[in-house]
Amino acid sequence: MAATTQTRGRLGLTGVILFLLFVLGAVLALYRFGRGIGWVSNLNQGYPWGFWIGFDVLAGIALAAGGFVLAAGVHIFGGEKYHPLVRPAILTAFLGYIFFIVALLVDLGRPWMIWDMIIWHHHESPMFEVGWCVMCYTFVLLLEFLPAVFERFGMSGALRIWHSLTPLLALALLIVFAIVLTHSAPWVILLAAVLVIFQLGVWAGAIRRDPRVPTLLVMAGVIFSILHQSSLGSLFLMAPHKLSPIWYSPILPVLFFVSAVMAGMGMVIVESTLSSRLFGRGLELNLLQGLGRALSWTLLIYLAIRALDLLLRGVAAEVLSASPQAAWFWVEIVVGLLIPLAILLTPEFAASSAGLFSAAALVVAGLIINRLNVAIVGISARYDTYYPHWMEIAISAGIVSAGILVFVLICRHFPVFEEKHAPDPGLRTGAS
Amino acid sequence: MAVKALLIDTVRCTGCRGCQVACKQWNKRPAEKTEFFAGPGYQNPKDLSKDTWCLVTYNEVEIGGRFEWVFGKKQCMHCLVPACVSACPVAALERVETERSSAVIYHKHKCLGCRYCMLACPFLVPRFEFDSPNPYITKCTMCFDRQEQGELPACAKACPTGAITFGDRAELIAEAQRRIATNPSVYHHHIYGLEEAGGTCVLHISNVPFEQLGYFTDIPHRALATTANTAMQAIPLVMFGAAVVLGLSYQLRNRTRQGEPPRAHG
Repeated sequence: MAATTQTRGRLGLTGVILFLLFVLGAVLALYRFGRGIGWVSNLNQGYPWGFWIGFDVLAGIALAAGGFVLAAGVHIFGGEKYHPLVRPAILTAFLGYIFFIVALLVDLGRPWMIWDMIIWHHHESPMFEVGWCVMCYTFVLLLEFLPAVFERFGMSGALRIWHSLTPLLALALLIVFAIVLTHSAPWVILLAAVLVIFQLGVWAGAIRRDPRVPTLLVMAGVIFSILHQSSLGSLFLMAPHKLSPIWYSPILPVLFFVSAVMAGMGMVIVESTLSSRLFGRGLELNLLQGLGRALSWTLLIYLAIRALDLLLRGVAAEVLSASPQAAWFWVEIVVGLLIPLAILLTPEFAASSAGLFSAAALVVAGLIINRLNVAIVGISARYDTYYPHWMEIAISAGIVSAGILVFVLICRHFPVFEEKHAPDPGLRTGAS
Repeated sequence: MAVKALLIDTVRCTGCRGCQVACKQWNKRPAEKTEFFAGPGYQNPKDLSKDTWCLVTYNEVEIGGRFEWVFGKKQCMHCLVPACVSACPVAALERVETERSSAVIYHKHKCLGCRYCMLACPFLVPRFEFDSPNPYITKCTMCFDRQEQGELPACAKACPTGAITFGDRAELIAEAQRRIATNPSVYHHHIYGLEEAGGTCVLHISNVPFEQLGYFTDIPHRALATTANTAMQAIPLVMFGAAVVLGLSYQLRNRTRQGEPPRAHG
């Protein structure tokens, strides 16, 4: 397959630009590790968190939600026809998390101590929960992507081991996580009982065994995702005195979760459209149309929750005031919700790939604006002001560029897209 | 166990900055290079920093038609339920609960440098060494090490006018109320720290409203981690609920289409 695929997936000038951005980001990151965060950023004592937390962490993780949304939709809720989209979404999510961790290493003051989270537990801290979820979920994503590697190298033995081992690994991860996070024997026993009964049912044949991927692995991914996508919002519940009431809400975790689902779907549409163009493969337009319908429903649900939340908390005045916060709020709502909703609810646009792509791209942009609003714009300037330094943005851009380059490279050499799956008949029952 | 606290009486403060110097001496923090900044006259330095954990602030306040200096004291407030402690993922921040101390202290060897404590702190106290390649959080420890030896915190020991008193929190609250009650025309009738952020172990009384001293007066009168704690308590419920819902929906979906052979490849 090398001859045909090598000519496809060439990035050309875009690739050169991405590579240069990566080099610039890497050089600046080295400088940051040599001197300190203050030398490359405008972060200060009043704004300890800035662009890196808002863009790399909050937005980055939300945009990688497509992996769990599609895995759940296909493998648990039965949206079988969307299967061709799962593997690219898993890869996007896996790389997203890897590069998010790289970005976090840049943002943490003492990143070499990141293992401390495994040693020193403070399970009341939302940050602790996010850290553990991300560790566990990145591992789950790696497990979910491994079949593509096994297929590529024809390792049918490894795939068999993978099939029998991953349910146990998923079970162990969930139980360890529950012990660490709840410190409560009854809850751990209850959860373990449900999971063990499910797996015993699969082994006994009472519950149908999914021949492609152990269901418990998918469930682990979904549970970890629900938890940390929402806990990223809980992080800011700690700051009722600093975050503007436009964004500070007791249901911030719910809003973060729903918007992550919506942005994850948007990201899948964007990524499918771009990669179909890049790799010259057919666009799964009927699938994207279906995804667009699901996206419009999610947008409507999110809009309803958001509007109810603002009305019930009585912050209409803040939203309508002439402040920079209110202006950014409206940008977020119009760009990320209203325009994409209008596009998706217009039948001609919702059926065309261009309409779907622009709506999805706007949803993605709206999510990034939302997360930057929570992390930067909505935080009150009680001390100093903060605008991201160009070097902060350049480091983030370098990380994103590296992510795109690695994604394209992997797609070129591994069976990520459907037509390349399972070249070996011995692997016909291969998971994905 | 008695909660230990400091009572700062700005009426008794003469702005000598003995506490500021004593703090630097005991905690071995270097002096800062003096810089001009927009603000009232003699204050130096401008703000708390990685090297200045205790700062006397100078405020020109109009009292009875004339301008007077009123001095404030910036330092860690040592909350009863500290938001920084709730926030820290690795328990690098800890509220001590011993016979002799109720200080909020920092275990630097555990710290990741995530700066979540800084976001959580309503008083903007923790300061980060942004310019260092191996940065730590820094803040007042209420001289926890001295307290454990039965000594007063350095600032309280140094104060020549009795503006800083160390003792049991309940007794200090009674003392503050007594001072306000015996001199009601002088004192502003509010004990800053009695209820702010759920109560702190550094209490302030003053002759002017606290916003005129640049104190944050819009801080909720409850522990700041309350809402976040509620969200965190939902975790086991969410895990259990998600496991049940996912397992059931998988099983129900498959029972309805049991006749179909599983797709060989998907």
